[in-house]
Amino acid sequence: MSIGIYVHVPFCLTRCGYCDFNAYAGLEHLRSPYVRALVREAELAAPGWEQEEVRSVFLGGGTPTTLPADDLAAVLAALRERYRLAPGAEVTVEANPDTVDAPKLSALREAGVTRLSMGAQSFDPAVLASLERVHGPDAVRRAMEAAREAGFGNVNLDLIYGAQGETLASWERTLREAIALGAEHVSAYALTVEPGTPLGRQVALGLRPAPDPDLQAEMFALACELLHGAGYRHYEVSNWARPGFECRHNLGYWRREPYLGLGAGAHSHRGERRWWNVRPPEEYLRRVGAGELPIGGEERLGPEEAHLEEVFLRLRILEGVPASWAEPSAARPLLEGGLLREEAGALVPTERGMLVLNELVLALAG
Amino acid sequence: MGATVTETERIRNFCIIAHIDHGKSTLADRLLELTHAVSARDMREQYLDKMDLERERGITIKAQAVRLTYATGGVSYELNLIDTPGHVDFTYEVSRSLAACEGAVLLVDAAQGIEAQTLANFHLARDAGLVIVPVVNKIDLPAADVEGTRRDLAELVGCEPEQVLAVSGKTGQGVPELLEAIIARVPPPEGRPSDPLRALVFDSTFDPYRGVIAYVRVKDGVLRSHAELHAMAVGLDWEAEEVGVFAPEATPVPELGPGEVGYLVTGLKDVHQVRVGDTITSQGRDRAHEPLPGYREPKPMVWSGLFPAEGGDYSALRDALEKLKLNDAALVFEPETSSALGFGFRCGFLGLLHMDIVKERLEREFGLELIATAPNVEFHVIRGDRTIVVHNPSEMPPPGTYDRVEEPVVLATIITPSEYLGAVLELCQSRRGEMVDMKYLSPTRVEVHYLLPLAEIIFDFFDQLKSRTRGYASLDYEPWGYEPADLVRVDILLHGEPVDAFSSVVHREKAYQYGRTMVERLRELIPRQLFDVAIQAAIGSRVIARETVKAKRKDVLAKCYGGDITRKRKLLEQQKKGKERLRRVGRVDVPQTAFIEALRVDQDRR
Repeated sequence: MSIGIYVHVPFCLTRCGYCDFNAYAGLEHLRSPYVRALVREAELAAPGWEQEEVRSVFLGGGTPTTLPADDLAAVLAALRERYRLAPGAEVTVEANPDTVDAPKLSALREAGVTRLSMGAQSFDPAVLASLERVHGPDAVRRAMEAAREAGFGNVNLDLIYGAQGETLASWERTLREAIALGAEHVSAYALTVEPGTPLGRQVALGLRPAPDPDLQAEMFALACELLHGAGYRHYEVSNWARPGFECRHNLGYWRREPYLGLGAGAHSHRGERRWWNVRPPEEYLRRVGAGELPIGGEERLGPEEAHLEEVFLRLRILEGVPASWAEPSAARPLLEGGLLREEAGALVPTERGMLVLNELVLALAG
Repeated sequence: MGATVTETERIRNFCIIAHIDHGKSTLADRLLELTHAVSARDMREQYLDKMDLERERGITIKAQAVRLTYATGGVSYELNLIDTPGHVDFTYEVSRSLAACEGAVLLVDAAQGIEAQTLANFHLARDAGLVIVPVVNKIDLPAADVEGTRRDLAELVGCEPEQVLAVSGKTGQGVPELLEAIIARVPPPEGRPSDPLRALVFDSTFDPYRGVIAYVRVKDGVLRSHAELHAMAVGLDWEAEEVGVFAPEATPVPELGPGEVGYLVTGLKDVHQVRVGDTITSQGRDRAHEPLPGYREPKPMVWSGLFPAEGGDYSALRDALEKLKLNDAALVFEPETSSALGFGFRCGFLGLLHMDIVKERLEREFGLELIATAPNVEFHVIRGDRTIVVHNPSEMPPPGTYDRVEEPVVLATIITPSEYLGAVLELCQSRRGEMVDMKYLSPTRVEVHYLLPLAEIIFDFFDQLKSRTRGYASLDYEPWGYEPADLVRVDILLHGEPVDAFSSVVHREKAYQYGRTMVERLRELIPRQLFDVAIQAAIGSRVIARETVKAKRKDVLAKCYGGDITRKRKLLEQQKKGKERLRRVGRVDVPQTAFIEALRVDQDRR
């Protein structure tokens, strides 16, 4: 059995208004203790996992690259020491454009990082400002150049569509630039208004419009068209890759394989059990400092829950569900309506179907 | 109250009849104080309006019988005050109260003058043979026209202006004189203790612990606690668990004699076993043979389907309706099945206010969540020599299968200051009204009679009348009969499927407007689905209005990112639960709220 390891770094230079991840600005003073805690947790959590083959490691956040390269290297070294990293394992680090330069990226390469996931979001300055991103489009170009210089041959660009001020034309320019920069992998997410975020509050108060779902649908269709035309394979609802560059780590989540999460708020999964660490970094530090596993909660999946997960994840990665799983009366109108297609005995969402995936899941999972 | 019954000479049974807002409940408060029925410490405003609902709406919907003790000239009198409602919907409760009285205080607001309901209630009381005590109220108001109102009232009742009393329910001025007048003018009840028992059930209520409680007026004989009783109309024998009076809190007494008013705890748990209007007598040899005459049976004027929002609440709704029916004789209901809303009841009400109150009580007192269909009147569909009675628009036969349709018409009495006469006539004309006559009560007040289709006045006519006359006009109406009208059924279709709950029978001229309003409302209320949903209004097969809810192109395409699969799954589970609360009409999912909102009765529904 092979596993993945996720390491969460909850620090950011600033908080973006739309983001609801477990990330904090202004906790710089906790960086060193946090890195020590990650190393300690890697030891505490190892029993039971240390014999498994680790095929992917993902340092996510937050912004992992707010940490010095040495710290990131130290975390990776701790993982190598306690776990069996497979030869050729995928090791991804998330980066924001203004937190990396050529020397830092070279140091990461040397520490064993094989894949870079860059939070570009857009190449339109107005859209970046509307998303409250601190970098400009040039920073993304420079970071991309630096990544190549450092020898990264597997780079993902994260893009967001549907922010206030974005048009179909500006989205097209963003997509074309991402393609022109030669990214091996593109993640394109529809901007989602999450309650509890500054954006969520502004929308609730009517200070900002909610994204227009019809426009986002057109933007999605455009992404499908341009990325397909440029040779990318659409392998998950929001993810495209050149063949062979699919993110192995994320596929592990989506295929319900086991993974171990380290760091504040990180999630783990094995068998029928899902569990997660405490979210606040201070509490995480206290628990690990006391020599405890910092687990904040867990659940055991019953057959119904497992089935629902299986259906929605299989639909998301466009593998589809076996036609025999669904009530024919539920599937038929979706097939006739062009939201599903049948492919080798599986029901697979069409491009239109991907946009209403929740509905498909509910119809097929009964 | 001693151990023996009060001699009839010392009893007075009276009610207060008045137009809404003319100060009846406040006057009742003063009577309670003056007779020390309620201590100053326990006094609260509108004491007799016990139910929350009544107090909030500022109206009285439930007759109450209260015993007051008042001593004058060395004699202690027992005064039974029967409170009555003042809204036009509740005329039947007035007539029910009248059956228990010998006299009526006719109360008129000195600033408002005689109103349409004053007339209606006066005629009811006079026809019931009651002695009328005319009273001008609110004489403390700066705008009060005491002398003018006195003259008008004297003319109406047929007495001298000096015989009209003047009081202020607010300050208490004139109230002792009113008590004296009631004793002097209202005759004592007749009836002998030695006669066989005959007691009229003029109201009832249900107590979860003690069962059915009947409000009774003893006409003949003596009603004793633990007596073996027989209900003449229902034909049932049982034993009285307790008899008592409201003083004003329930107080047990050993017996009630002729002319006395009080309550009777029956111990019966089945609400059908006690009928308002029934005569109660003794069992065996002492039983009476002739029941007392009943009173005018209430007749429902407005019909609507009531459905539980949760299908499983059907039997809870049935139980709740049966309990309400016990003290609301005007409420009628029969089971109804709707393809859109499932199992429910088609209910008949006296009017829209009555319907609102029943619905609110069902929701508040019984914890039910309800959907009410658009209210309608009772139609008569004539086919040859057959008449089909239609209470539910979906029962209306298709066009071309009958000779004609008839709708109920009422004779409306409107009294208005003459400066608003033009506005009143215009309103009546726009509601298909036909003027009968018009007369000036004084140079500034006009009384108009109109024949109006009931369907035209049950919705917002009263509000319109008030707003066009700055609140000065008053309205009363009585059934007149059925007349032919050009009525059509408008159906609302979702994706080609008719939704029976939205069908309505309307005048042809208003069909387009109804259809337009409904399809526009529904376009806003029906969420986007996976396909385009056509919303159509149609008469028979002819579509008169159409809107489309465009297909949903995108639902939340949230990231599924990081290992937090749990959160995403929980969102889906929530969505699934939400879906289970939707009602399916053909292929279309319609939220509960769409039924409630689309069927809400308000001004633009017309």
